[in-house]
Amino acid sequence: MIDISLFVLMLLGALLALAVYLPLRAGQLSLATPGFYTIGGTVAALLSTQLPGLGGSDAVYPLTSLLLEMIVAIAVAGLLAFLIGKPVLKLRGIYLAIATIALVEILRVVLLSSPWFGAAVGIFAIPQPFEGPEGYLIAYGLLLAIVAWACARLERQPLGMAMAAIRDDELAARCMGVSTDQVKLIAFVLSAIVAAAAGVLAAHYFNSWNARQANFDASITTLAFVVLGGSRTWLGPVIGGLVLTALPELLRPIGDLRLIVFGLVILLGPIFIPQGLIKSKQS
Amino acid sequence: MPQLMPSVKVLRLLPKWLLLLGLLASCSSTNSNAPVNLKAGLPVGAILSLTGNANVYGQDQRIGLELAQAAFKPGSSIPLNLSIEDGGSDEAGAINAFNLLINRGSAALIGPTLSQQAFAASPIAQRRGVPVVAPSNTATGIPELGNFISRVSAQSLVIAPLSIAKALQLNPAIKRVAVFYANDDAYSTSETAIFQKAIKAKALNTVTVQRTQLNDQDFLNQITSALRAKPDMVVLSLQAVDGGNLIRQLRELGFKGTIVVGNGMNTPNIYPICQKNCDGILIAQAYSPELQTDANRSFVARFKAQQAGAVPPQLTAQAYAAYQVIAEATERQNKRQPLEAKPLREVRILLNEEILRGTYNTPLGKISFSPEGEVIQESFFVAQVRMNPDGRSGKFTLLP
Repeated sequence: MIDISLFVLMLLGALLALAVYLPLRAGQLSLATPGFYTIGGTVAALLSTQLPGLGGSDAVYPLTSLLLEMIVAIAVAGLLAFLIGKPVLKLRGIYLAIATIALVEILRVVLLSSPWFGAAVGIFAIPQPFEGPEGYLIAYGLLLAIVAWACARLERQPLGMAMAAIRDDELAARCMGVSTDQVKLIAFVLSAIVAAAAGVLAAHYFNSWNARQANFDASITTLAFVVLGGSRTWLGPVIGGLVLTALPELLRPIGDLRLIVFGLVILLGPIFIPQGLIKSKQS
Repeated sequence: MPQLMPSVKVLRLLPKWLLLLGLLASCSSTNSNAPVNLKAGLPVGAILSLTGNANVYGQDQRIGLELAQAAFKPGSSIPLNLSIEDGGSDEAGAINAFNLLINRGSAALIGPTLSQQAFAASPIAQRRGVPVVAPSNTATGIPELGNFISRVSAQSLVIAPLSIAKALQLNPAIKRVAVFYANDDAYSTSETAIFQKAIKAKALNTVTVQRTQLNDQDFLNQITSALRAKPDMVVLSLQAVDGGNLIRQLRELGFKGTIVVGNGMNTPNIYPICQKNCDGILIAQAYSPELQTDANRSFVARFKAQQAGAVPPQLTAQAYAAYQVIAEATERQNKRQPLEAKPLREVRILLNEEILRGTYNTPLGKISFSPEGEVIQESFFVAQVRMNPDGRSGKFTLLP
């Protein structure tokens, strides 16, 4: 039993997975995705509920306002990622992961302790740009298509090749003349932009937004999407995001066991298919 | 360097994925124009937080629904066929469970556990014309989500000020108040605002407001800085575990004054946590196990029989009441106009009207609904905890 709204959540999962995949493609294990996702959602929630000029009180929230929110959210998240990325990306491997977890945690505390961001209660009654889930499905579908297309293009461009080179061997890449710091930073900023754009739509879709969106669990879930799907090509995270979002729902018939089976899939996936569901061909 | 998969290949695969998704999608959605399926009773769904960080609440609620089923199913001309689904503790989980149960042909829904989930998921039911009775959403604005959304859980706005008034009545000398709340918990944050307003309205002086976190265990810093302000009364908006711990530490550090706690601690689960230190705390309740009505006596007896003599918590009573509201409304509606062979859509509309129209003798006392679906509850309670000499068990004694 699948409903349109589950498809919407699946597409959201795929987008977040792509956001995790981008830095991972450059060999950087960043768990900051939920943080930028939350920033996107918070920007959308604040703008649409606090600025009457955007048409929040209209029966149907104007799409132009949605687009404007997305631009603002992308700018905010991109700028933040740029500023934070410079020092943070000097860290490697597990240290980078820890720093990005801390980043998400700091963001959560900031949101919680400021009434302006809705504190623990969150922001309610976010205006709806679409009548039902169908509109969100199209919007998310478009967004995913654009991001997936851009990722597919990126993989064949010098920048994408440079990212892959850094993943395979950062020192060798640097010796080959790849500006590793710059490439890593670009990957980090792109990831933030994708996550923020997904967050803007999510805030409207969920109708309420709160700081609980940014937590450690979300970091791990999105990482699992990429690990199960595969981190070599853009299709891997997309499939991982779609499948792992749908799986708990498809498993509902088995009742209380479903989360155990879900956990087993996440556990056994990397053991039996370490490269993920979608592998790249070796030349 | 690995050669990447050409996107042409991916595009060729795409139709297969779409076909798969389409197939999955096509096996859903009951036609709401089809007649309602009464084979096993009127289908009703419940969405509870059985997993995630709100699972303690969901488990309490599940017991309430199961007891209600045992109580109302026999002797009913049109029993409810209840299916409980896990809504997780987040918005996405609740949305999925709502859709699943609506597609399965539920005539009415009970849930979700958390207010935040309700803001995300209840509009779906509203859009599709399915009545929702919320058993535990206390945030402002829930019934306003639409005419199909109602609740049996009273807002903190109504309950919280009662205990402040009672505390002053018991000790008119109270002047200085210290307030504690968990700033990462939605319930605590919204209730403390109401408490603080009530304190101001009584012309009391709030000497300090201390923030804690839901998962904190040690409150030494907050308590010592609060005690430095020499409060006569401490007001807590906390949940059972953190609140119970805070009370124990507060007493151990020498606070002798009045302690008033919010609705989140209205559960016997606090006894083993603050033990003998629980004694004397004042609590505002939307449900009291001490209420002497037939409905409550029979509910408490059922609970005690199932749970080895334990006293039912508020969430269990509220879930029981939500089920009772739907069961009784169904019964009345069916008597007036048999639901057999009516289209599901019409059954949902009729049932919603009947739910809002009725008056119900629940364990919470007599309740009815405002036209928006807000609960109108006759009796709220202020109780004082009296611990037994063993320090492990106790009782919420109703104050007159």
